[in-house]
Amino acid sequence: MRNLKNPSEIIDSIQHQLPALYFVFGRAKSETLAVELGMQWDFLDINEKKRVKQIIIAAEAEYPDMFVHRDRSTLKKLLVQGIGYHHAGLSMGLKRIVERLYEERLIWVLFCTETFAAGVNFPAASTVFESCRKWDGREFRQLLNREFFQMAGRAGRRGFDQHGHVFIQISDSYPAETGFFKESGIEKVQGRLTVSANTVLNLLMWKSDQEIEHFLKSNFSAFQKRRNLKETTKDIAEAQIIIQEKNNVFCEDRENNTCPLISKKLKRELQKLKSRKYRQIHGSSNRITEIKKTLKILNQKHCNSEKCFEAVETLRKVNQKLLSLQLKKKKTAKETQRYTADFNKMRRLLERLGYVDGRVLFSRGKFALHLHIQEIFVAELVFSGILENSPPDVVAGILAGVDYVPGRREFVKDHVYNIDPVTQLRAELTKLSVPQEYLVWSPVPGYIVSAWYQGQDFAHLLENTSLQEGDIISIIRREIDLLRQIEKAIMAGGPVSLKENNSVLLEKIRNIKRTLDRDQMMILL
Amino acid sequence: MDKIRKTSKKKTKKRSKSKKYPASKMAQPVLVPEEQWQLDEFQVKAIEAVLSGQNVLVAAPTGTGKTLIAEKLAEKALGEGREVVYTSPLKALSNQKFADFKKLFGVEQVGLVTGDITINGEAPLTVMTTEIFRNKCFEDPEQLVNVAYVIFDEIHYLDDPHRGTAWEEAILFAPPHIKILGLSATVPNIEEVATWISEVRQSKMLVVVEQKRAVPLEFCWITADDYLLNESQAKHQVKKLIEKKSEKSRYFRN
Repeated sequence: MRNLKNPSEIIDSIQHQLPALYFVFGRAKSETLAVELGMQWDFLDINEKKRVKQIIIAAEAEYPDMFVHRDRSTLKKLLVQGIGYHHAGLSMGLKRIVERLYEERLIWVLFCTETFAAGVNFPAASTVFESCRKWDGREFRQLLNREFFQMAGRAGRRGFDQHGHVFIQISDSYPAETGFFKESGIEKVQGRLTVSANTVLNLLMWKSDQEIEHFLKSNFSAFQKRRNLKETTKDIAEAQIIIQEKNNVFCEDRENNTCPLISKKLKRELQKLKSRKYRQIHGSSNRITEIKKTLKILNQKHCNSEKCFEAVETLRKVNQKLLSLQLKKKKTAKETQRYTADFNKMRRLLERLGYVDGRVLFSRGKFALHLHIQEIFVAELVFSGILENSPPDVVAGILAGVDYVPGRREFVKDHVYNIDPVTQLRAELTKLSVPQEYLVWSPVPGYIVSAWYQGQDFAHLLENTSLQEGDIISIIRREIDLLRQIEKAIMAGGPVSLKENNSVLLEKIRNIKRTLDRDQMMILL
Repeated sequence: MDKIRKTSKKKTKKRSKSKKYPASKMAQPVLVPEEQWQLDEFQVKAIEAVLSGQNVLVAAPTGTGKTLIAEKLAEKALGEGREVVYTSPLKALSNQKFADFKKLFGVEQVGLVTGDITINGEAPLTVMTTEIFRNKCFEDPEQLVNVAYVIFDEIHYLDDPHRGTAWEEAILFAPPHIKILGLSATVPNIEEVATWISEVRQSKMLVVVEQKRAVPLEFCWITADDYLLNESQAKHQVKKLIEKKSEKSRYFRN
């Protein structure tokens, strides 16, 4: 981690503009900064502290160990000083408490990540940006103007503050990353359609050819590209008109020996020939006299050469532009066809895998209609019999890995069951040239969910992984989501091959779902 | 031992700071509840339009009161015995909206459907994630027969590289009788979005834009030694730092 600047002095400079939301892009950073501030600041008086303690005690009555793990006892201490942190790693209960205290104006400086600014309105007197770069799942990048203003705009409480104050830190070591954002620079909205297996199956199942065509040709991205295409075509036409006009400027003597346009060229040649290197070459002196003669004639010619020179210059520029416009047009025209190409590609894949033939959906296809995450892989997990033949705790573990990409330094205790069938299935599908992006699966989170299914408590999970409370909850909630999709798909018909066992599988899936959705995993409403 | 020393140091420092502090703490605001704000012009315009049954796209900065427009619309539709779907991009937001709406309209009137939870799913005002609404448009559009409006909160999520597709598919395939109220952060091509929506849905869409923030922002940059700078000073400082840095790296390279 980079060196972090102690926030105490900053808070000192802005102490008349509190409460502040202190945006930090990184969970560990937000915790470290909160602790540092806590060493020097305490914002609450005795009565306020009492109030905070009451709220904490009430919450702990519901979840006695919410402040026990992952050093959250530090957070508890900080909250009593009017300082907090809030990020996706926290359990739902902790997030709830921090939000509540903030709303009750019992938190004066809250170190938080972007999620705190999304949607729910938590206004502050000021917002502080520790940095303006964030990890977007693939890389560190500068915030978009839109993202910045979403966060910065939390500063300023309506009906109270004259201004919302936004403070941006300049880092001595990374000065180039300092944020200077402009509302006028806010990015355009672009179309982002992706043609998933689920989309193709739903289109084939429910929509007419005409509607499918409409979908592929009238989506927002295609609409924008068509607009671009129109504009580019117009620009090309304009460029061509200019070219025509400028070509009319010249007389019929253009660039023959009597045209001043060649004088520059001749002068340049003359210069070259006079240099030491060329002077000795045979024929140079003849050429020099020849050029001198021509230049003399040219000087005597009285035509409007200024205009011709200007026209040549313009033509050069416009021709260059025309070339790039034509390239752009070609590219955009191809892009407007992209979705049709994507659709056909996915359709061919689904046909090859036996999900669909023309308009007819086979049982795999009908099943995958109800899946929204890694639909091909999940359907294959069901139809291969893996879910049917494995005990429920193993099913719970396997499904946890669907669409999961483990972080770099992540640790989870190894699963104890055999994952060979899953590995084999992925290998077979790869052989059938199913792209890897449709086979995203990891064994890593398996232990967490299978242990939770077997009735272990939250503390046990936390002891067996480096993941934070919020990550564990999100893994299990995502699995509940996936289990619901599978449940729906089985109820809508299910695999014909497993027909008689469908009810067994259905019961298994429901049982896992019910068992997972308990205690700390339940959504607080 | 070490720990004790730390705490004692903390205490002395704390006390001296908190003495400095009360000045701004006295000025605790009594915030006016959102319902009691006077309506802004853009809100009036948008509310009138949705109450008369038009497609409306509102673009306004954070915290200017877009939600109120949605609430007025829901109130009217529920009063007429019609249904409204409210979609939001994040589960946490859906949960929050569900709680808010329950307070406003009563528990029986409001439902919540996300990927992993369903509560009172048949209610006339249902809060959903956009993905769920998109799925309904494909799978059982009959269920949406009585829906008068779909409200897309944070509709600029259209631009989200991974999830934007759900918004597009929902807009393209929502049954044609359903009107749209889109709530967006400020984006420069809001007109383009509206033109597209009205084209694919073959139904006019009114655009209401508010540029002004409810509370204007003031920017300040903070140097490593805690000086507060304005923009031009900050730019100057950054330039100096970059130059210094490149000099340094040149020095080390040589």
